[in-house]
Amino acid sequence: MPLPPKLQEIVDDFASMSREEKLETLIGYAESFPSLPDWLTEEREKMEPVPECMTPVFLFGEKQPDGGVVYHFDIPPQSPTVRGLAAILANGLNGSKPEEILSVPADFFTPMKLEEAITHQRINGFIGVLAHMKQAAVKLLENKSKN
Amino acid sequence: MSYVHPEYLVDTEWVAAHSEDPNVRIIESDEDPLLYSMGHIPGAVQVDWFSTLQHPVRRDFLTKEQFEEVASKLGITNDTTVVFYGDKSNWFATYALWLFQYFGHQNVKIMNGGRAKWEQEKRPLVKDVPSYEKTTYRSKEPDKSIRAFREEVLKQSSSKKPLVDVRSPKEYSGELISMPNYPQEGAQRGGHIPGAVSIPWSQAVNEADSTFKTPEELRALYEGKGIKPDEEVIAYCRIGERSSLTWFVLKYLLGYPNVKNYDGSWTEWGNLVDAPIEK
Repeated sequence: MPLPPKLQEIVDDFASMSREEKLETLIGYAESFPSLPDWLTEEREKMEPVPECMTPVFLFGEKQPDGGVVYHFDIPPQSPTVRGLAAILANGLNGSKPEEILSVPADFFTPMKLEEAITHQRINGFIGVLAHMKQAAVKLLENKSKN
Repeated sequence: MSYVHPEYLVDTEWVAAHSEDPNVRIIESDEDPLLYSMGHIPGAVQVDWFSTLQHPVRRDFLTKEQFEEVASKLGITNDTTVVFYGDKSNWFATYALWLFQYFGHQNVKIMNGGRAKWEQEKRPLVKDVPSYEKTTYRSKEPDKSIRAFREEVLKQSSSKKPLVDVRSPKEYSGELISMPNYPQEGAQRGGHIPGAVSIPWSQAVNEADSTFKTPEELRALYEGKGIKPDEEVIAYCRIGERSSLTWFVLKYLLGYPNVKNYDGSWTEWGNLVDAPIEK
């Protein structure tokens, strides 16, 4: 299965960027990192921790009426790199169906050459975030089959 | 009682007053390399522990010539007072300071409390990246008296001399091979170097504002665990960043004459064939 089109676009963009452009783009994603919607702030216990990250990262996958998933993240502003990486995944995957999200290969980002801009340990955090987004997608699928 | 070398520490007020001082260069060194771009102390430049200070190919620091180029580009002369600050209670600020000392830069200071304290005090953060006129910096030969290599660490361990493991208790015990909540990768084996005492780096700083604890508290902490000034001490962690903070505390705040940072740390030791390990 091909990558969701928005994610493919991000991968292609990064693949052609210099190190500086990658950093600037990450900063852009970090700066536009959305704050948590009020309803989720009130029900924050619904959010799941991502223990692989260097930073306290929490996420929640919200099912849309059309079956797509929208992810929400809670990440402290002191960790802009993690915010930027999570925002890339959210931008690339939001709106996709759980099945599409589950089909994203764990190494989809290899052509992005992220290691030019960030350390391997952070890339592992990125992999961890994707894994937890998939877990959230699995839960949504299980709920669907129960209903 | 005061710190033994208080001149190595400045407070946020001092930095605010010297942000335009041409004899002072303020350097931000963070764990998260994008923090500087999100806003930094006016006039401050950035070094990244990895992309600025590491050798681009080997696992080592820059060469002397490469370091000279970095310092020159930052507009630093051999006489500039360089003040470091950063996130995570100044882990990577002390790491950068240690490395500047390794290349012979004498006039260095840490901003007590780092970024956290500056932000708590609601002091200004700006996005403008300053540029300073390029200098011709001349580095000294690397000062190996503050850097430990694996052979020395092995000797230190087998002769039962002081080693300080500054990682978290679970890393020391071998239950984890990286910090809690960090990816568990980077070493084949868990545990600690035989004979090392566990004094987590965080015990040296106040949680509330990231400043260093008082001289009395620090002395009690290290001497209470048998780490005394009369012997050579080697500190280590996972990659040498947290142990830079402990190195700074022992060397300058407590005035221990002979302290080394083992930057190979657990990512070397825990992978080294035949290296003794205690659990």
